[in-house]
Amino acid sequence: MTSRTPTVCPYCAVGCGFYITPNGVEYMQDHPVNEGSLCPKGNVAPDVLNHVERLRYPMMRTGDGWIRVSWSEALDRVAEEMPRALREKGPKALAFLGSAKCTNEENYTFQKIARLMGTNSIDNSARRCHSPTIIALRRMLGTPAMTNPISDLALSDCIFVIGSNLAENHPVVARWILRAKDRGAAVIVADPRVTPTAWLADLHLQLNPGTDIALINGMINVILGEGLEDRSFIRERTRGFEELDVSDYTPERVSSITGLSAADIVRAARLYAKAGASSIVYCMGITQHSCGTENVTACANLALICGQVGRPGTGILPLRGQNNVQGACDMGALADFYPGWRSVDDSGAIDELRRLWNARSLPLGRGLTADMMPDADLRFLYVMGEDIVNSHPAVARRRERLKRGFVVVQDIFLTDTAKLADLVLPAAAWAEKEGTFTSTERRVQWVSRAREPPGDARPDLWILSEVAARLGFDLPHDPEEVLAEINQAVPAYGGICRMNAGRRGGIIWPCPHPDHPGTPVLHTERFSTPDGRARITPVHHPAPERTSPEHPMILITGRVVLHYNSGSMTMRSEGLVKREPELHVDVHPDDAVRFGVADGDTVMIETRWGRARARAKLTPGQKRGTLFMPFHFPETNLVASELLDEKSMMPELKVAACRIWRAD
Amino acid sequence: MTRIYLDPERCIGCRSCEVACEREHGHPRISVGVVDDLAAVPVYCHQCDAAPCVAVCHTDSLRIDGEMVVFNPDLCTLCGLCAVACPFGAIELGSEIKRCDLCSGTPVCVMTCPTEALVRGDVDAITRSTRARAAGVLAARLR
Repeated sequence: MTSRTPTVCPYCAVGCGFYITPNGVEYMQDHPVNEGSLCPKGNVAPDVLNHVERLRYPMMRTGDGWIRVSWSEALDRVAEEMPRALREKGPKALAFLGSAKCTNEENYTFQKIARLMGTNSIDNSARRCHSPTIIALRRMLGTPAMTNPISDLALSDCIFVIGSNLAENHPVVARWILRAKDRGAAVIVADPRVTPTAWLADLHLQLNPGTDIALINGMINVILGEGLEDRSFIRERTRGFEELDVSDYTPERVSSITGLSAADIVRAARLYAKAGASSIVYCMGITQHSCGTENVTACANLALICGQVGRPGTGILPLRGQNNVQGACDMGALADFYPGWRSVDDSGAIDELRRLWNARSLPLGRGLTADMMPDADLRFLYVMGEDIVNSHPAVARRRERLKRGFVVVQDIFLTDTAKLADLVLPAAAWAEKEGTFTSTERRVQWVSRAREPPGDARPDLWILSEVAARLGFDLPHDPEEVLAEINQAVPAYGGICRMNAGRRGGIIWPCPHPDHPGTPVLHTERFSTPDGRARITPVHHPAPERTSPEHPMILITGRVVLHYNSGSMTMRSEGLVKREPELHVDVHPDDAVRFGVADGDTVMIETRWGRARARAKLTPGQKRGTLFMPFHFPETNLVASELLDEKSMMPELKVAACRIWRAD
Repeated sequence: MTRIYLDPERCIGCRSCEVACEREHGHPRISVGVVDDLAAVPVYCHQCDAAPCVAVCHTDSLRIDGEMVVFNPDLCTLCGLCAVACPFGAIELGSEIKRCDLCSGTPVCVMTCPTEALVRGDVDAITRSTRARAAGVLAARLR
């Protein structure tokens, strides 16, 4: 370890590089993604490393508290409870929750243990951010990932941002959008709120929540009506166009659904279709709906009919939330996919892994997803680096359900989920271990150890290999050895090694062999489908969440720039938490008058799922008839909708009918 | 004349500059004001040539040195007149005066700004690049 160690930011999935120094942070100005810049969270990322509340020792629950135990006792206990549950109730009684904040090597090993124990009930937090992306883009394009690098946005002539407040959630992405604007590019932002991202827009479409499909189909209607589609691209590189019927989505009808003017819909369509290179950027405003998979499908349809895929400056760019969401999914920490995106229903593909792992058999069929786990009859739940209690809807009910069975939580802090565990295992944070992370743009970067973990905390991979050894599996504990196995299990990672992932900026997959330079732009010649053609897939506007006299408003959830996910890290960073200390709810001043609410009042928000208390913040940027609450505070998930997208099992976290009243 | 300049159209109000400055100095010397959630403006010392803070300082603890306003804490009585006189609200009183000192040439606020809204440089050079950029945008839209 030196005084200055290169690392990758542990917060969102942009993959910014910086140096960790004894005093904190030094900027890495030659990093290809962030060129030295960092958002506020990145600037204080080392705060969590030696935080006083870090877990330092394994702890076992007793009747009225915790006792410190040795690693040997803790690991033996895991290796007793897991097979016991298996003996008593079979593999359906086991579930594993991986982490989009752990390395590829750790997630690969974690899912391998689950599968060797006979279950596909292994999932990660991607379930609640981009599972619709996985389902829709895999089916349509063949590869469930961002098509172009983030820096490619600077080459776009039109950037269509829908369902993403990237200026707050992925601030460094705004850098590349502004570079495009410097060249004269047009920026369209579709969002019900006036966010800092909307400040960058040439055209802000302040649509009604949950009407994204209608908007996109309306744009396609205009494009086809005016002959702006790319006929040769459609003919040569796609299938299914003839089934795409959007004749019902006239600008006038779409105007009545979305609340936008017909002229704005026409303008957006022309801007996107006429530009030499157009890109679509989306995030959880698209995916976190009960029609999330259809929303992503609509985005891809728009790109495909205009031929805006497969070239620099074009593409479909889903912005992932956590630093290793893409990697955790590539590694198969999913209930419906094995490593390398092998479907759990594809026995032939899984057979290759069976041979690689020297396993007698591997389970088939989808296991329990993260949202199904608390309701299932589990005897053993192993949670690695995930606060399931605070990051899922229906917090209170989940807290009760999770108490059934034996729960192991492996984390860096005593999260609310860890407080429910029978056994807590202290893990090393990102900069206290080694391995690779895969950013949202498929960029695989090696992270070196910059600090020692506190107390007896250990890297997740060490913990997992020790557990595996006690279960009778001989799994490597060295990240490089695991990566060498990943080379064989995940074809797109075939040539990725410590050397090329450790270079400045790492390497972008697919990288099928060691001499391959990586693949920044996907689908340049053919799509990754069996016949090389993309699948245009018709989708239709579903029945939206409706308001009622009891619940006259629509609640939108999302993020703010100073916090991150459930807050387990940012709430422990003084520089961040003092600037955003409590849950607020954004209210338009006109709605505030309507409901007798003043700025700063304590208010109650109620949906049919629950009630939450928050501080009212009046802002004209909020669309009339809607409220906004950031989900970094556990109370927000008390009221978030539990409806599921049946294709991806994504909860409808973004939209819920609600009411608001003064609490005092 | 070297200064930190702001392009308000690029600021996304992320407060990265503020957090980075606090990390380096223990207290932020730049503060981002967000107005009605519709626009954001970082507030910081502009190193004015005709600096009102220097003009009102009766102990000469603030003075102009070359291209910037410098501060000598040994002479300061914490009277607060400089904070009142500053038209930007860039000076804050505490146990000592807290204001931007340009970080010895490489301001962290500029280095960390995700959108390049903060730029350090010579005003003429910045004006030239802004003009070139605006001309480029206009040309692209005319094409």
